[in-house]
Amino acid sequence: MMSLPPSLGSPYPWLRELKSEERGLYLIHLLLTCANHVAAGSLENANIALEQISLLASPDGDTMQRISAYFTEALADRILKAWPGLHKALNSTKITLISEEILVQKLFFELFPFLKVTFVLTNQAIVEAMEGEKMVHIIDLNAAEPAQWIALIQVLSARPEGPPHLRITGVHQQKEVLDQMAYRLTEEAEKLDIPFQFNPVISKLDNLDFEKLRVKTGEALAISSVLQLHTLLASDEEHLRKKSPLASKNMNGVHISRPLQINQSTLGELLEKDVVNGHSQSPDSSSSSPISANASAKMDSFLNALWGLTPKVMVITEQDSNHNGSTLMERLLEALYSYAALFDCLESTVPRTSLERLKLEKMLFGEEIKNIVACEGAERKERHEKLEKWIQRLDLAGFGNVPLSYYGMLQSRRLLQGFGCEGYKIKEENGCVVICWQDRALFSVSAWRCKK
Amino acid sequence: MLEKMAGEALPNGIVENPLAESNPPVGKKKRNLPGTPDPEAEVIALSPKTLMATNRFLCEICGKGFQRDQNLQLHRRGHNLPWKLKQRTSKESRKRVYVCPEKNCVHHHPSRALGDLTGIKKHFCRKHGEKKWKCDKCSKRYAVQSDWKAHSKTCGTREYKCDCGTIFSRRDSFITHRAFCDALAEETARVNAVSNINNTVAGNISYHFMGTPLGPSMGQHFPSIFKPIPSNDEIINPTTRGLSLWTIGQGTQGHESMGNNSLHGIHQQGSVSSGTIFADPLVSCSNPPPSDYQLNWVFGTKLSSSNAEALTSTSVPPSDVKEAGSQLLSVPSLYSTQHQSHQAPSANMSATALLQKAAQIGATSTDASFLGSFGLKCNESQIEDGNKLCGLYGSNPTLANLGNNVESSAGGLLEMRPAKRRHTHNEDSAGGQTRDFLGVGVQPICHPSSINGWI
Repeated sequence: MMSLPPSLGSPYPWLRELKSEERGLYLIHLLLTCANHVAAGSLENANIALEQISLLASPDGDTMQRISAYFTEALADRILKAWPGLHKALNSTKITLISEEILVQKLFFELFPFLKVTFVLTNQAIVEAMEGEKMVHIIDLNAAEPAQWIALIQVLSARPEGPPHLRITGVHQQKEVLDQMAYRLTEEAEKLDIPFQFNPVISKLDNLDFEKLRVKTGEALAISSVLQLHTLLASDEEHLRKKSPLASKNMNGVHISRPLQINQSTLGELLEKDVVNGHSQSPDSSSSSPISANASAKMDSFLNALWGLTPKVMVITEQDSNHNGSTLMERLLEALYSYAALFDCLESTVPRTSLERLKLEKMLFGEEIKNIVACEGAERKERHEKLEKWIQRLDLAGFGNVPLSYYGMLQSRRLLQGFGCEGYKIKEENGCVVICWQDRALFSVSAWRCKK
Repeated sequence: MLEKMAGEALPNGIVENPLAESNPPVGKKKRNLPGTPDPEAEVIALSPKTLMATNRFLCEICGKGFQRDQNLQLHRRGHNLPWKLKQRTSKESRKRVYVCPEKNCVHHHPSRALGDLTGIKKHFCRKHGEKKWKCDKCSKRYAVQSDWKAHSKTCGTREYKCDCGTIFSRRDSFITHRAFCDALAEETARVNAVSNINNTVAGNISYHFMGTPLGPSMGQHFPSIFKPIPSNDEIINPTTRGLSLWTIGQGTQGHESMGNNSLHGIHQQGSVSSGTIFADPLVSCSNPPPSDYQLNWVFGTKLSSSNAEALTSTSVPPSDVKEAGSQLLSVPSLYSTQHQSHQAPSANMSATALLQKAAQIGATSTDASFLGSFGLKCNESQIEDGNKLCGLYGSNPTLANLGNNVESSAGGLLEMRPAKRRHTHNEDSAGGQTRDFLGVGVQPICHPSSINGWI
């Protein structure tokens, strides 16, 4: 298969001879090996694996090369966190441009159909719930993309009974984004002569002051949460850590330094918890018990507060993958599959030379991967969970599922068809919609109302 | 009794009509209600000349004029001239109100006197004076200089301009006008017909809602701006109705316009997709479901694969990122046809497929031929490097120190737990390098059967 050319410089010249498929498989193995080492704390070995990978991975290459680049960066970041001083120093001069962040969100909206489908379904659910209502108030928990509400304004203005009095409250961390939203939406509403008001709320979700939302009596409330709720699962690590006997930080990777009888089974269990970074178990979902959603105080109180607003309809869109496993390997494996699918989407629709694609992969997916792999505790915001867990959670919080209408699904299907790429699929699951790439479920959309 | 005259009053025909005798209370001045002068105030009637007087006190050095003697005195200080300020005698201060000398004026009567000297001056100039100040941007004239200044500050700065050319300074009148402006309706219709995604909406997602489903039930609910004039029906491309600007493009424009490849593509696509829900207006005008709009409108459609050739500028050059951003927004399909060009040579398996294959390989072999192939390569390269590499995989049975770990190592790659466990057991030999990868030697705890555990 491969003959060894006379070696010129590279210590592993034969690596270059690898064909794409073999290289891809090799990369997978290297990645997993490296992850194993990281999880086990053998940093020397992890280092060697990283070096190997660096010869093959590349953010400009094929899908597997790109994914490997970001995963190894994440693994390296994780390793580095064992030296907090070093980690902080290396990250101290990072520049984050808001304009770039905004651009990346736009790119996500444009290059993928996911958000568009989400918006179509959300809007349809809202329109159906608000039939006959004269005063409609919508709370958008991540008001970044005006397109969604522009479309809704259109639809509402065309209602047979005439448009309602519409208020939209947008929550976002960046003022500029909200300003732009306000401008676009107000302009649109004026054009269509709809009584409209936009209220910006500059806030993070985890310390959102519900008073600021100004929900009034007599208005029909709709809440839209697109890829936001999972961040609330990252919370309150401190008290968990103190209680847990596992917490122990150390630098050289030898992780267990407290007196415990070392027998195989307990060791094995302990090893399940990832202790490299000294964090104990966060409110993760464990794959072994898919049914019980782990408690998270912050999430509970947030959902309670939402329930307290008595919305007529609440539409939740979330990533439909389990990236909240308690161990690194669990998460890494799941993430490998999910992001492989996402990167495949881009590979099928955007050329490799595209700078936009590069930005999207790096600044959106790369950061998510880094968060999933390298962070723990309150820092790890990207705690995606499967739809069934969300269903449980929302059910417990007092919400009843509202099946998404057939009409909405139809529209979504057509949108996907129009998108022109065969890999995207939609399926219905218990009244919720799951958007897939080939067979891999990626995003779920579900609608809820308050149960009494 | 006669009151003393006001400081500025000139001795020509001043009449005083004290309304009351008593002194006003000392202390903070309070404002009267407008139009109701203090009944105890002293009424002063100044002559027109006084009211319009400008600078009667002149500086002898530079000739600058001042309206008041005090100001002149202060000015004289600057020339190092002797100066003297008259103290205002505060004891007899009494509220003064002023009447307008113009007989036919409302404010001529003491009961409608104005309480402010500057006010009465301005009033007199505005109402009974000549408008000497003219705005240079527009044609407005003013008698009072301060009015003129105030106007020219805002003149032209905030304007609303309708497409028909009418200008408004007030927002509400502008909006009202637009609702009924004929020119605007024509413009709308024209854009409909052309159906161009034109990046006139630079930076905006050009979600111009153009297509009103001309169904009768829909029509009435639209503001008049959007009601297409019946004659425009023919102009409007049938398939554009209910379709977003993007998805239009049936033949009415070539794709050369702004690289609107999407249109071109959709041109062919459109005929496919427009058949059904997306408003074939000729067919089902009656009640196209309104929510269609959002689909067509906002989210448009991407190109079908049939038109990749049309796309030449598919990868936006880096320097154009910003524009690309806006272009992106308006022409999302810039990126859509890539799937057409996803030539995927057979070597380019998708990552998903690769993962599945890796899982299969891992599952079916302990000493995977796959791994073995790499192991073999190790032999050919330098030994020590080979050691390292093989150390990772440990699949080379010929390396003595790894010999007994073929199985476990192959398994070890693919399994979480055994690997971890092995490592813990070897804590004491943690210093080792290549030997340590596989937890060499000690106790291979290998569960080949659970390879499937993680994939």
